[in-house]
Amino acid sequence: MPSRESVHTLYSHHHGWLNTWLRSKLGNAADAADLAQDTFVRLLQRREQLELNAPRAFLRTIARGLVIDHWRREELHRAYLEALAHLPEGEVPSLETRELLLELLERIAQMLDGLKPKVRRAFLLAQCEGLSHKDIAEQMGVSLRSVERYVADALYHCYLLRYESEA
Amino acid sequence: MTPLNPGPRVVKQAIHWMLKLRENGHNAHLQQQCERWRTAHQDHELAWQRVQSLHQELNLRAIPGASVALQTLENSSQRLQRRQALKLLSGVLVLGSAAWLGKDLDVISPLTADFASATGQRRSLRLPDGSLLQLNTNSAADLAFEADQRLIRLKRGELMLTCAKDSTAPGRPLLVRTREALLQGFDGRFVVRQDSDCTRISVSQGSVAIHSPGPLQWVHAGQSYRLDARGATLLHNQDMDTGAWAEGLIVTRDMRLGDFLAEVGRYRHGYLSCADDIADLRLSGVFRLEDTDKLLQLLPQTLPVKVSYRTRWWVRLERLA
Repeated sequence: MPSRESVHTLYSHHHGWLNTWLRSKLGNAADAADLAQDTFVRLLQRREQLELNAPRAFLRTIARGLVIDHWRREELHRAYLEALAHLPEGEVPSLETRELLLELLERIAQMLDGLKPKVRRAFLLAQCEGLSHKDIAEQMGVSLRSVERYVADALYHCYLLRYESEA
Repeated sequence: MTPLNPGPRVVKQAIHWMLKLRENGHNAHLQQQCERWRTAHQDHELAWQRVQSLHQELNLRAIPGASVALQTLENSSQRLQRRQALKLLSGVLVLGSAAWLGKDLDVISPLTADFASATGQRRSLRLPDGSLLQLNTNSAADLAFEADQRLIRLKRGELMLTCAKDSTAPGRPLLVRTREALLQGFDGRFVVRQDSDCTRISVSQGSVAIHSPGPLQWVHAGQSYRLDARGATLLHNQDMDTGAWAEGLIVTRDMRLGDFLAEVGRYRHGYLSCADDIADLRLSGVFRLEDTDKLLQLLPQTLPVKVSYRTRWWVRLERLA
């Protein structure tokens, strides 16, 4: 774990720069300040020693991940609201259910990041729509064997993230 | 203390068993086999338990109101990717999101109308049924909304259609006709392009049916087809994002410079070309279409080329000496 001192030094030298960099990505001072803060909190949580040769590149890598998480959340909310707008009135879930679902969707979206579109789609058709592999194959215009491979690959990918990735 | 992780082979076997049981309606014989496998080694059981719990965690059907989950995840993922490409692309400065949509949103009342855009212009039109029709540069379409069908004829250029369900019952089919093809949209969004020798169809959401040429063929989200007298051909590895123009962008992946310039040329008047010895250079990136002169000025930043203007409308790229 990095010492508090080294994080403190990083903070005093680079906080201003990081804030500016984040503002250029997010276009919003309040979000930039939040994410700059989170970046340093992440640093304190890391197990390994800090790579201090290129501190800014290092900070940027962490911050970039946070920016993407932030955007993912925003896009999910937006897409979810759009989807809700098309539901018949009686089917719109309660506020609590919506919060719960969004949280779950965010976790899933994060896990599925980096999967090939076909793998991702096959997996989601199975998980969200409960379609059989045969139906998925038909809908996607690919072979049954491919669908089986896609779904298994996606699960394996999630398994590794869930149980074997370093915190 | 961390327990030892089961190896990859065991995890994959556990996944295989889980899927097999799920797909076969928990057949008793399979279940026995699976149990034998689980008890054969403690790693097997651990992997099995984890896969089960992961599967439950990812089971969206258990939650009320999850019917929109797939759509939400797919839409947000596409946008996130575009946003990442846009904002995190180093060296290329891209400002804000294109706000042309809505700026010139026409509303037309007549049920039959001609609708066209000039070179470099994009237009969008809310159709009487609520569908959104967007025309790319130098395009023309006319509408024939009748009692039994909603027909759009694409006469030149390219359109994007975001379909709405027809409010009249039973819903009239929503059709797009081009020189080569007759297409039917359902829900979702797709792009149709009339090229000189073919029609191209790309679906970004939902599905489209190709009625002609050839036998009935479905196009699903993420797929593109080329349609000509010989029939429908699935296109692989597209080097360009087919719907990005609707946001005022060209998004390329490893595209030939020659092809890229031909594409950019659709958005401007005059001559735009390059020397043969650089036509095969490849280019990936996100480019804004609203000022193609500015766009061209970006190219020397990433490729060994220079842009020469003979007049404002005669532009040629050459290898940097």
